[in-house]
Amino acid sequence: MIKLLQRSICLLLFSMLSLEAAADDWWKFWVADSNTQQVRVAEPFIDFRSGPAQGFPVIHTSEKGEWLTLLKRKTDWMKVSDAKGRLGWVSIDDLLLTEDATGDTVSITEPRFDDFRTRRWESGLQMGEFDSTAVNSGYLGYWMTANLSAELSVSQILGNSSEIQMLSAALVHQPFPQWRFSPFFRIGGGQIKIKPKATLLSVDNSINSMAHAGIGMRCYVSDRFFVRLEVNDYKVFTNEESNEEATEWKLGLSVFF
Amino acid sequence: MEIRTKRIFLMPHLCRGVLSFFLAIGAMAASAEEVKPLIEPDVRPQKVDESLIDTENFELGVFGGVINIEDFESSMLYGVRVAYHLTESFFLEANLGLAEGGETSFEKLAGNVELLSDEDREYRFYNVAFGYNILPGEAFLKGPFSGDTYAFNTNFYLIGGAGATDFAGDNRFTAMAGAGYQVLVNDWLAMHVTFREHFYDIDVLGETKTSMNTELSTGLSFFF
Repeated sequence: MIKLLQRSICLLLFSMLSLEAAADDWWKFWVADSNTQQVRVAEPFIDFRSGPAQGFPVIHTSEKGEWLTLLKRKTDWMKVSDAKGRLGWVSIDDLLLTEDATGDTVSITEPRFDDFRTRRWESGLQMGEFDSTAVNSGYLGYWMTANLSAELSVSQILGNSSEIQMLSAALVHQPFPQWRFSPFFRIGGGQIKIKPKATLLSVDNSINSMAHAGIGMRCYVSDRFFVRLEVNDYKVFTNEESNEEATEWKLGLSVFF
Repeated sequence: MEIRTKRIFLMPHLCRGVLSFFLAIGAMAASAEEVKPLIEPDVRPQKVDESLIDTENFELGVFGGVINIEDFESSMLYGVRVAYHLTESFFLEANLGLAEGGETSFEKLAGNVELLSDEDREYRFYNVAFGYNILPGEAFLKGPFSGDTYAFNTNFYLIGGAGATDFAGDNRFTAMAGAGYQVLVNDWLAMHVTFREHFYDIDVLGETKTSMNTELSTGLSFFF
């Protein structure tokens, strides 16, 4: 244990020392020379912050008429440099009030509700219960039209007596894409693999087909993300006399592109 | 006579005056020409093209540290971490970790007893989590050699999520909660120190109980 602790402390100290060396501007070659994306301040002034968040202090202010070069973007912040090479982070909201070389207002996309309606791809992570057992799940969806999308999802259900893995494909229909709280219906099928826990007796894994139908709701939150809640009913086709059924609910956070 | 000689002496001044007058006119003419340069630059005003601006919302990193596996000693932990920054405050994170459980006190005292096979001692976990940068700030470091002071952006964040832990021949749903401190060395390199608690129910020692596993780790990550 002490050895472990020593190793960790060494690692920490090493990284602390390397901080100073890494802080130099040697990495500037990274920034492409061809980048001449420039905007002119059109409001009376624009604030530069030391980092890409509202919590970082304002370190500089550029006046109306000054030209800023756009360097890189992190979430809703843009790193810029002014004519004298001063660097700072400017919020996208402020940048949208600047002008580009043609004298027009700069057009930089800020993910909004409008984009939510016209999205093409969405992906998310969800958690919930499958027949009162915890389920973790992830999915990727592609919107073919405003109403219809195809989805692929994987789930892992971890119970006391077995572990279940599921792979499924589904068609999703959304009747009201323009609503902020948009309900949807889904129907699909896939494979389900049941691995009984081998602590008491060893039983073979079983792989079965399954079909499912469900309803759900997408709730747009902000930027490019939304909350997704869904309830699905599964029918597992087994070799036994009767098929098995299960109900699942999941809640998660998704991102659209 | 006097006037004549005076004129002779004055001539150079006159000449110089006339000369400078013509020179001035010439210069004026030249400056008038400069308004229109010989070669017109072929530059058209360009609109901002967003696709040329690098966005850095993803973070990929490795971490190492110590995890105490309840009943099975503390072990070295290694893993990889991917994060996606949704906003300046919120981020999603996925982690994969690997450790190896040690021996229980019972195994040590009893001598030749082994509760788990070597394969079952492998401790593997994954989780997906939601993080919140609750205290963004700056840290100041005085260089040990140069004496210069450097300012680094930092974030203190809270994190919580869920996933699964594969240990002792069992794969269990696992909840995770913790906090971390991130120091941004520059725009694309960050150092993390984090403390996380992993909870899951397990019945390896007979009856089912909640196992609490504390992770203390440090890591480096790259934004891209």
